[in-house]
Order: sequence, then C-alpha cells, then structure tokens
Amino acid sequence: MKKWPVQEVLTLVAIFLFAFLFIKGGGYHKWFTGYVLLYLIQGYVAWFIFSKCGQPFYGYAVTMAIGAFSSIVTAVMFGWPLWAGILLGGLFSALVASTLFVATSRARGFYVGMVSFLLVILFPSLIEALRDITGGRSGLSFRGLKGLIGLDGLLWLVLGFVIVVAGILFWLMRTKVGRIFTIIAENDDLAKAVGINTFKYKLLGYAIGGFISGLGGGLYVNYIGSISSVDIGVLTTIYITFIPIVGGSKVPFGPVIGTLFIRLIPEALADIERYLSIIFGAAFVFVMLGMRGGIGDNVVNYIGRLIDRIRMRRAPETKGG
Amino acid sequence: MVLDGIINGIIMAGIVALPVLGIAVIYGMTGIINFAVGGIGVFSAFLTWYLLPYNMPLAIVAGLVVGFGLGYAIQAALLTPLSAKRGGDLNLFFLITNNIGLIFVGLTRVIFPRPIIGIPLPRLGTINILNVQTSGLKFLALFIAIGALLLLRTVERYTRVGKSWRATSQNLRLARVVGINTSRAFNVASGLGCMLAAFGAIIWGSLYNLTLTSGFDLTFLGYIIAVVGGIGNILGGMLAALIVGMVLSFSAYIVSGSWQSVILYGIAIITLILAPRGILGSERSV
Repeated sequence: MKKWPVQEVLTLVAIFLFAFLFIKGGGYHKWFTGYVLLYLIQGYVAWFIFSKCGQPFYGYAVTMAIGAFSSIVTAVMFGWPLWAGILLGGLFSALVASTLFVATSRARGFYVGMVSFLLVILFPSLIEALRDITGGRSGLSFRGLKGLIGLDGLLWLVLGFVIVVAGILFWLMRTKVGRIFTIIAENDDLAKAVGINTFKYKLLGYAIGGFISGLGGGLYVNYIGSISSVDIGVLTTIYITFIPIVGGSKVPFGPVIGTLFIRLIPEALADIERYLSIIFGAAFVFVMLGMRGGIGDNVVNYIGRLIDRIRMRRAPETKGG
Repeated sequence: MVLDGIINGIIMAGIVALPVLGIAVIYGMTGIINFAVGGIGVFSAFLTWYLLPYNMPLAIVAGLVVGFGLGYAIQAALLTPLSAKRGGDLNLFFLITNNIGLIFVGLTRVIFPRPIIGIPLPRLGTINILNVQTSGLKFLALFIAIGALLLLRTVERYTRVGKSWRATSQNLRLARVVGINTSRAFNVASGLGCMLAAFGAIIWGSLYNLTLTSGFDLTFLGYIIAVVGGIGNILGGMLAALIVGMVLSFSAYIVSGSWQSVILYGIAIITLILAPRGILGSERSV
C-alpha cells in the first residue's frame, strides 16, 4: 500500500502559512519573507540535485545568476517581455547544467563537483569581462515584475512558485523516476548493474535542477531589482549547498529549516556581524560532524525513537492489563 | 615584449607556487584537499604584519610557526579522526575545510585591527635581467619556491621521515603494519602545507595587498594550478605554476584583468574535463 505523503503535504502547508502570516504582517518582514522564499527555491534545487540525485554539483550560484542575468539583460538591453526573459533564463541554466554534466561525465564524483565549483569562481569574472552587456561590478537594474504587478503581486507569485516547485519535486521523488534517482544516489554501480541508464537519469536531474534554479534566478532579479558580478560568488553557492546539508537531506522540510538557518542567523546576529563568519563556519562544521543528515533528519529520528520508546513502555502494560 | 613576458611569468610562477606546494603536500600525503590552507596562510600573514614593527625576522618566523601549528592541530583534532571514521569522502572534506577557512576569515577580522594590509618587507633593490627590471623581493620569492621544492624532494627521497611519508601515501595499511605513525605523518604534512601557504601569503602581502578573503583567492588559485599539474604531484604543480605564470604574464598584454581570470579558470576547467588527473597525472586517484 502506498504511504500517504504526510510530511510533504505538511511542508507545503507550513510554507504557505508562515509566508502568508509574514506577508500579512507587512513592513520589512514582508520584504524579507520574499527574500527567504527566493533562497528556498535554490534550497530545493540543492536538496534535489545534491541529496536526492546524489550529484556533487556546486554551481547553484551560476545557474541562479544565469537566470537572473538572462531575465534582466533581455528586458533592459533588448526590450523582451519579462516572462520570456525568465523562461529563457530557465532554459539556458538547464542547458549549462546539462552541458556541465555531459562534459564531466568521464570523470568521477569529486571532479564533477570541482568543475562546477570552478565555474562559480569564473562566473563573476566573466560578468565583469562582459560589462558592456551585463554592467559588470555596477550591474544592471530595472523595475521588472515589481513595476508590473507590485510587491504584493510579486510576493504571491514567488510563494506560488515555491509551492509548485516543492510540490513537483515531492511528486517526482514518489514516481518511478524518483525511485531511480534514489537508487543512483545510494549506489551508482548497483544502478548500472541492474540495467538503469544512469547517464540519462543524471542528465535529467541536472536539467530539472538547472531549469528550476534559472527560473528562481529570474524571479530573484525581478524581486531585488538589480544584479551585478558582486552578487554572485563563492559564498552564495556555499550557503545554497549547505541548505539541505544543515536543514536535512532526507526530510521534505529540510530545505525550509536550512534556508531559515542561513538567512535568519545573519539577521538575528546583525549586532555582532563581526563574528558572523566564525559562528557560521563553526555551526556548519558542527552540523556536518555532529548531526549527520542535518537538523530535520535528526529531529525526525529523535521523534521516531521517542515514539518507539513510549510504545515499548506501553506494550507490557497492555499485555499485562 | 616576449622576454619581458617570460621573465615576469617565471617570477609570477614562483609567487603562486608556494600555496600550490602546500596543497600538493597535504593532498599527496593525506588524500584530503584542504581548502582551509589559504585561510590559515592569510591568518598567519596577518600575524606577521602585526608583529613586524617589533622584530621583522621574529614576525616572519612567528607567522610560519603559527601556520604550521594550526595546520597540524586541525589535522590532528579534526581531519585525521574524521578520515578514519568516514573514509576519504572528498566532497565532505571540501565542505568542512571550506568552513574552517570561513572561520579563519572571521578570526582574522576579529583579532587584527585592519581588514586590508600590505606587509612592508624590504624591496631588496632592483634586479636587471636582459634589460627587464624587477624587484629583488620577487626574485627571492622565486628562489624560495624553488628552494622549497628541492628541499621537499630531498626530504622525501633521502630522509627517514620522507620515506615514511612515501610509504603512508602509497599504502596506508601497510605503512601502519610496519609501525609507521601515519597519524603523525598526516599532521606534519598538513602543518607543512599550511606553513608553505603562510609563506606564500606573506610574500603575496608584501608584493600586493592581503584582504580578509585573500585566503580563498590563494586557495582557489593554488587549487587550479594543482589541478592543472595533477593534484598531489609536486613537480606537476610547479610546471603548472609556470604555465599559469606565463598565461597571467602574457594575457596581461592582450586582455583586461577580468578576461585574464576567465582564461585562467577556463584552462583549469578544460584541463579537468579533458585530463581529470592533470598534465602530469595525480599520484593519488580521486
């Protein structure tokens, strides 16, 4: 019998309710909610590629930036409709992520990750080198979708997109394709041995992840209103990579915890900003060493053990009674 | 122009070679690519800068000793036990050491009074080679790099410690069976690697500037060169440093700074795609 997707549904409801409450609260919290949601999109991409497909991809800042720059450049330079720029960004990101995978498919895991990481280091320089089109360090700015549908409209659009993306990924992981992704992530050699075309499925994973990340980047630049080479960097990609690692790689709400962790801690520690990288670095190391699987997985395991213990205590009483 | 480019390229290779050697030594021995090397190196260089007004030789020695100590301590307390517990998962070590680097960026910011420094070492005059003039300090950096390479090779080949290093990197289990203290070999290699990175950062800081995030720049530059040469392969790393030095030197005549970086990282990516083990091959398999 198929298990009901309780955690998945609760996650979607929780995302909607929390975002709804903060959006209704207005002010800075409202704006910040949109910012957190935009990172949550990237968090779900990292959760899907890194944790669910088991692919060591670190190029999230690049796929996100490709979406953002495609959107703003096509709108500002060529006067394209905004939706077309966002869609192009998604497609272009999917193409780059897939090409990266195909190009590195001869190599083993770590090299694939390193090529994507080098791409992250290269990308800001490329944006600066192409400053006539991209604006370089000064960047480009525009009103984008905010000018068209207002901040509220854009916020609801972003929230809707997050829920659709998370919903699609949850659904996908419960299909046959999702189970194949899981087998590949667990044991690549075993997947090959049982006749799975791992190349095809990994390529599919990269394409899906790249597409969503690019679309998310397009929404990001429409929400923030500007982007430059300074906004894309190694730290962005490291933070996005850490979203599922910190939040939880197995549970569907892991990216929510991870995104809150990486976005709320800097807000909460604004007064002691000097110590932020020490606290962040130490927290990441602690989670990676002490909480294998991330906060979410450990909480679920702990609750599971607690329930088992209660059941075991009750069992003799029931027997005896 | 060609001669000028070649000489500048060789000198640039010498400057960037030290952190490369650091990465190569650590990876060659431990099988861990330590991305905290640059952060530790820059922290140590900041310490040298801080102590410089008191006594210059002592300040440099203090920076190097602290670099060695930090590399040794982190390897002993964290990386070696983790490697024993979870095996050589390179992605895990990549993420962990990157965060250790992040901690050192924070520590450098909190402990030292300035976020950008230049280390005022003596320029050591101007040297003229075939009508190309350059500072004596740059030449010294080149000689230190060559000296460090030769010293490492000599130690590795002809000393008891070096033999235990080679045994450990070739067959860890067998090295343990014959009584080699492999943990200590790992810790010393890591300390040595971080000390070389500290030296590289001190030289870099005296020729250019050091910022809080220079550690990441040094690490990534070092890593790229190490990748092109074959990670863990000391000779390959030096050859790649020469190639990168030439690329940086000659591309400066043709394209702007941003394109230089694009070309540099582009070469590293293409190398990784076409020859994942680098131009001379890696002594370890990744």
